[in-house]
Amino acid sequence: MEFDYSVLHDNFTYLLWGRMADGQPGGVLLTLIMAVSAGVIALLLGIGMAALAWRFGGWTRRALFVWAEFIRGIPLIFVIFWLYFLLPVVFGSSMPGALTVTLALAWFTSAAVMHSTLAGLESLPVGQSEAGIASGFSQWQILRTLLLPQAWPNLLPSYLGLLISLLKDTSLAFIVNVPELTTVAGQVNNRVQIYPAEIFLFVGLIYYLLCATLAGIAGRWMRGGNRGSLR
Amino acid sequence: MAWHLDWAGVLTGQPLQWVISGFLTTLYVTLAGSVLATVLTVALLALRLTPGKVGRGFVAAYVSLFRNTPLLVQLLFWYFAAYGVLPQTWRFYIGDVHPWAVLPVNVSWLTPEFLCATWGLGLFSAAFLLEEVQAGLNSVPAGQTEAALSQGFSRWALLRYVLLPQGLANAWQPITGQYLNLMKLSSLATGIGFSELTYQISRIESYNAHALEGFAVGTALYLLLGLVMGWLLVAFGPKRPREKKPWLLAVAKSHGGQNGV
Amino acid sequence: MQHPSSPTADSSAVFSSPLSTPSNVAVEFRQVSKSFGPHQVIHQVDLRVAAGEVVAVCGPSGSGKSTLIRLINHLETLSSGEILIHQQPTAGLSGKALRQLRTHIGFVFQQFNLYAHLDALDNVSLALSKVHGWKVEAARNKARELLERVGLADRAHHFPAQLSGGQQQRVAIARALVTDPSIILFDEPTSALDPEMIGEVLLVMQELAHSGITMIVVTHEMSFAREIADRVVFMDGGEILEQAEPEQFFTQPAHPRAQRFLQKVLFPLRSAQEQLIKKGDVDGVAP
Repeated sequence: MEFDYSVLHDNFTYLLWGRMADGQPGGVLLTLIMAVSAGVIALLLGIGMAALAWRFGGWTRRALFVWAEFIRGIPLIFVIFWLYFLLPVVFGSSMPGALTVTLALAWFTSAAVMHSTLAGLESLPVGQSEAGIASGFSQWQILRTLLLPQAWPNLLPSYLGLLISLLKDTSLAFIVNVPELTTVAGQVNNRVQIYPAEIFLFVGLIYYLLCATLAGIAGRWMRGGNRGSLR
Repeated sequence: MAWHLDWAGVLTGQPLQWVISGFLTTLYVTLAGSVLATVLTVALLALRLTPGKVGRGFVAAYVSLFRNTPLLVQLLFWYFAAYGVLPQTWRFYIGDVHPWAVLPVNVSWLTPEFLCATWGLGLFSAAFLLEEVQAGLNSVPAGQTEAALSQGFSRWALLRYVLLPQGLANAWQPITGQYLNLMKLSSLATGIGFSELTYQISRIESYNAHALEGFAVGTALYLLLGLVMGWLLVAFGPKRPREKKPWLLAVAKSHGGQNGV
Repeated sequence: MQHPSSPTADSSAVFSSPLSTPSNVAVEFRQVSKSFGPHQVIHQVDLRVAAGEVVAVCGPSGSGKSTLIRLINHLETLSSGEILIHQQPTAGLSGKALRQLRTHIGFVFQQFNLYAHLDALDNVSLALSKVHGWKVEAARNKARELLERVGLADRAHHFPAQLSGGQQQRVAIARALVTDPSIILFDEPTSALDPEMIGEVLLVMQELAHSGITMIVVTHEMSFAREIADRVVFMDGGEILEQAEPEQFFTQPAHPRAQRFLQKVLFPLRSAQEQLIKKGDVDGVAP
């Protein structure tokens, strides 16, 4: 099987950062921007929901869980479609596709962040919060100063795993034509037509390098490098 | 903006046909993909257990590859690149219309899109299923393995009578989650022009601009399909001894693991 | 055969009891050594156990006693030396031959290791039906007999999670006996049990001891060693330092390390105090 790499050569910078020169980031650059932004927002949202569920329990927790299952029960594409349709209505004007997709990713992933964070908090020995209560801490103080710092080393590998999923999920922007890596690769393929294997293998390789590296880091953290905060 | 909803625009006539066709297509490709994924998972598990490094190395590479690349890119590769490698006679044959290769209602499965979608979904899901099964097997306390070996069980008998019954039951929830994932991820095949539910819903949107109604119907159908599939899998799947979880909770918990687009 | 009972005895002398003749040796260790990486756990051990004999192996933690019996049914593999079962060498056995060997040797674990997904009856009968091809009914009948023998006939359909530690261990013993092994090994069978349950397990082991089966028991339970064993073998640092009949061992241990060990086990507080005094940290307190 002959591979002709000229197509990769010719389109290399386009695949890497899209039309950066025109002020329109694309390719790998846009993938990274979207993944990281969505990750930050998802983290804030998810930890917030977990904090509420932990603090109030009962119906609040159940409602949050139902909300999370609802979000995760429909395909991510649909979430993107919904936001694509609803956001312009809410904000009164059309929004850049990349922003819509990023918000959709963030919303979708926040449910998983909530689950992971709650699992991490609840896996701590119950004695920790009991000790805090006995010393007169408020619930929020217990969460912030006692539990989250202890749960953090165990949570990091899960969060990293979610970031890896986010990186892969950005590829869905293909469906709505936002020029991240997969879309851009599709465009090149449409234009050039005769080198699909080279293009998609290369794109696959880039994703693989990004994700496998993060997965390796997460693996090392889980095996012991990150257990250190019990001083 | 006028918010009055015109459900008739989505639930009658041509759009309804599309919705039904799309829903059934999603159902069929989910079943086909699940069967393929299950077969592959069993094969990979067996391969991983063969003595020597080759089997385990191959499986490790497979899992790493399919878990660290997006499903959409895999589908695009299978459809645009790999499909072209098939012998020309095969491709011509598949490209022809075959009245016999049609599932109710008017869903033909012998098409490049259906085949590539099934293939892509199956290979992708197997990588995740394998890890869930392995985690289940690992969750059985190691002492039981020693006990069984001490009694003269072979490795295969140990797996079959001690590890798998407990391992599958322990991991049944995440395993169910993976099958549900497969169903939801079938929506990505829209990207290769596969006319499953998501594709048909977007088609309605361009046909009569009934986006809200269309998305609502699509959302409801996916949720429904997920609930039914989840219930069936939990009801007929292995259970841990003395486990009686309310099924709604069990199904909902299975959704919690969606990952790996 | 002379008992090498002085502390200066050659540690490579063969430890065997007056009961064994060359033809009825059930288990024999010849110059057996075992290392885990750089760490040598068993050091050129020789030992002979006669058929039908009941041997208690004791010693401090890390002395290699668990490893010693785990070598017999190949849960660990030898680094050097030989082990013979009924005068047959067992080195390098694998596959079918190894499984054959294992069906003649029962093993009872400290943590019981019952199959959690099966009830007591199926736990005991599983090996018969799946490894030896017995019909399920026949296997279950034999299992019932054995459960009767260990006093748990009425718990046949209980799952391990529904049984107490002592009951689980008795089921484990029944399971180990189901293939009619000629040798049965115990790895600290009562160490994981609450004190009030130790007795019921010892009772079963006593009945076994009188039945003529060869038993090798690694244990901290001095009452078992004293009342049920034919011989006590003392191990420390991967070597057998002393062996004697129980009465002799407990009243007049010969080897100084055996003496120290017994002191610590029988009089823990006093011996710890004496240690401190020797180190000079504390003024002597009259015992």
